[in-house]
Amino acid sequence: MPDSGRKANTVTLTIDGQEVTVPKGTSLLHAAETLGTEVPHYCYHPGLTAPAQCRICLVEVEGAPKLQPSCVTMAQDGQVVHTESPAAKRMRQGVLEFYLVNHPLDCPICDMSGECKLQDYVFDEGREKGRGREPKRVFGRDDFGGDVLYYGDRCVMCTRCVRFMDEVARDSRLTVVDRGSRAVIDTFFDRGLEGASFAGNVVDICPVGALVSKDFLHKARAWDLDHTQSVCPNCSQGCNIELHTRDNLVQRLRPRENQEVNGHWMCDYGRANYEWMNRPGRLEEPAAGRGAKRRAVDWKRVLEHLFVQLREGSGAEVKVVGSASASNEALAGLAAVGGAAGDVSSRVFRSRRAADEVPLPGFPSLVRRRDLAPNVDGAGLLGFERTGDDGGGGGLEDLAGHDGVLVVLGDELADQGEDFGAGASLYVYLGTFDSPAARNADFVLPVTTFAEEEGSFVNAQGRVQRYWQGMQAPGSARPAWLVLGALAAVLGGDGTPASAEDVFAGLVAAHPAFAGLTYDALGDQGAALQKEAAHG
Amino acid sequence: MAISVKVMRRPEAGRTSYMRATLKGMSLTFKHMVRPTKVTLEYPEEQPDLHPRWRGTHRMEVHADGRPKCVACGLCPTVCPANCIRLVGGEDDQGNRYPIVYEIDEFRCIFCGMCQEVCPVEAIHVGRHFENAEYTRDRFVYDLDRLMEQDHPTTLLWDPSDPRSE
Repeated sequence: MPDSGRKANTVTLTIDGQEVTVPKGTSLLHAAETLGTEVPHYCYHPGLTAPAQCRICLVEVEGAPKLQPSCVTMAQDGQVVHTESPAAKRMRQGVLEFYLVNHPLDCPICDMSGECKLQDYVFDEGREKGRGREPKRVFGRDDFGGDVLYYGDRCVMCTRCVRFMDEVARDSRLTVVDRGSRAVIDTFFDRGLEGASFAGNVVDICPVGALVSKDFLHKARAWDLDHTQSVCPNCSQGCNIELHTRDNLVQRLRPRENQEVNGHWMCDYGRANYEWMNRPGRLEEPAAGRGAKRRAVDWKRVLEHLFVQLREGSGAEVKVVGSASASNEALAGLAAVGGAAGDVSSRVFRSRRAADEVPLPGFPSLVRRRDLAPNVDGAGLLGFERTGDDGGGGGLEDLAGHDGVLVVLGDELADQGEDFGAGASLYVYLGTFDSPAARNADFVLPVTTFAEEEGSFVNAQGRVQRYWQGMQAPGSARPAWLVLGALAAVLGGDGTPASAEDVFAGLVAAHPAFAGLTYDALGDQGAALQKEAAHG
Repeated sequence: MAISVKVMRRPEAGRTSYMRATLKGMSLTFKHMVRPTKVTLEYPEEQPDLHPRWRGTHRMEVHADGRPKCVACGLCPTVCPANCIRLVGGEDDQGNRYPIVYEIDEFRCIFCGMCQEVCPVEAIHVGRHFENAEYTRDRFVYDLDRLMEQDHPTTLLWDPSDPRSE
């Protein structure tokens, strides 16, 4: 009897004839999930409390007099649970029919169509034909302020949105008004959701199309969107997100679960800032020559010329401008190229800083950080120093007139004039957009944005997180790590990196702060840097 | 092995009469002169009677006030096997969802009729119509206005009195 002395902290139960062992305190709903059985649910959300009021997750537990709500019934040893028994199915069908008493069948014009839980469950288990004869009640729609629209007719009263605002945002702006079939979600007087910093999440957690985003309204159908795992690039928190793209354009950002970083949530600031990824007028072809002498040159020749010039000028004083929006891989490549070209006297980056942080009270590790760029910490670890003011301008006074080698990556130099880099012996500009300050560049190399390449960022918690390619790059733009990796390889004698993973492996070898990390170890949830190294 | 050759025996020249065959042919000719059975159609004066399930170029149904019935639900571009429908949804001034852009490339269309079948609001239809000639190729991309102007009869994809073909 090995277990007799101590209390086991797991329980073993039977769900639909399959035995499963789960930790104590697991709900039946989660226990069923580990077997791959999804018990329908509306009011339950893993990031919120469970009021067990939607009554659709009821399952049959042998020995219990009535069906039990699986979201709040904890698994117990020896329990025998049936999620697909006739009683449970009949119950679900009945509950669904009640939901459809007043839910309009406006799926063709509903934005949630295709990702709607009511649609899914009714399609799976609902009645083929409705029996209701009475007219459905009609509320019309209500503007909640901010980015949120409320369609009262579609609401199933799960109150996830109310609980999110109460428990997670701790900013009670929503409530249930009235009772029975007249119940609606409403805001208090004229206050609305305007100015709330995390209200966009209520759209994500709404299981039906009652709460929809004004920005996304009628824009795309759920089944048309491609989903790419990524990391939010709008502040150094690095919330795990999905890019939802269609026709090579980002249509919206959605949070992706990561309990270490953002839970199930993301802030409205990050959610709203995606249009820049779709901005047209990008640099598409590499070019060489200053000012009027600039000509488009193909990648092979431009890299050869650049290599020759870097070698000729080797030993010169090198100044490098990086970017806190560039990946670790690109920044490491930039540092390597600069080092191989001569003596690097300054490595700087600029980034915008907000006036203050915006925390999410109910999930303390999620904070909209002051740094409004994703890789400020990575740039710091890789030897770049912040310069300039909080608006992301200034700080380049001693670079503008520098007479050695100047390499700029990912900074649009928006506040710099046309004479920037006029005296440089060699000026290389790697960017996504052309800029007046790139006029004197000897080489202009088009690089990709984070949405068009693979790479990794270090967030404010010292966590390294990967992101994936979700869009096609315009023209022949290449990821910065590929361009810089090829140059560094020629200058340093190593082979050209074949993938971002190779570059990351080289970066880990060169920088002790990243010790022990690989792309496999990062996975889709990231991994923390070793503490002393991260802040040392 | 030699190939066997069958030698036809023909009547000798000068001993054959073609009169019988000629009269047989002429009798058929005169029979058609007196009692004609016509198989051709005097198009364009006469129009063919198209089958009720004939599937031709599209037509968009409109409401009484002239708005298209389409609600931009996106099902027809999804179901279209030839990928010939381009749709961009939006909201009109009355708050209704409607198609800002709705284009069908009739050259890409394979006239399967699935767009009509899938349409939840009976807006897009394939038509009982075959006269599609144009002077330029780009006229074959029908936009929303063009689709709403079409006035030919629409296809009956199923018998309304027997929708399940029972």
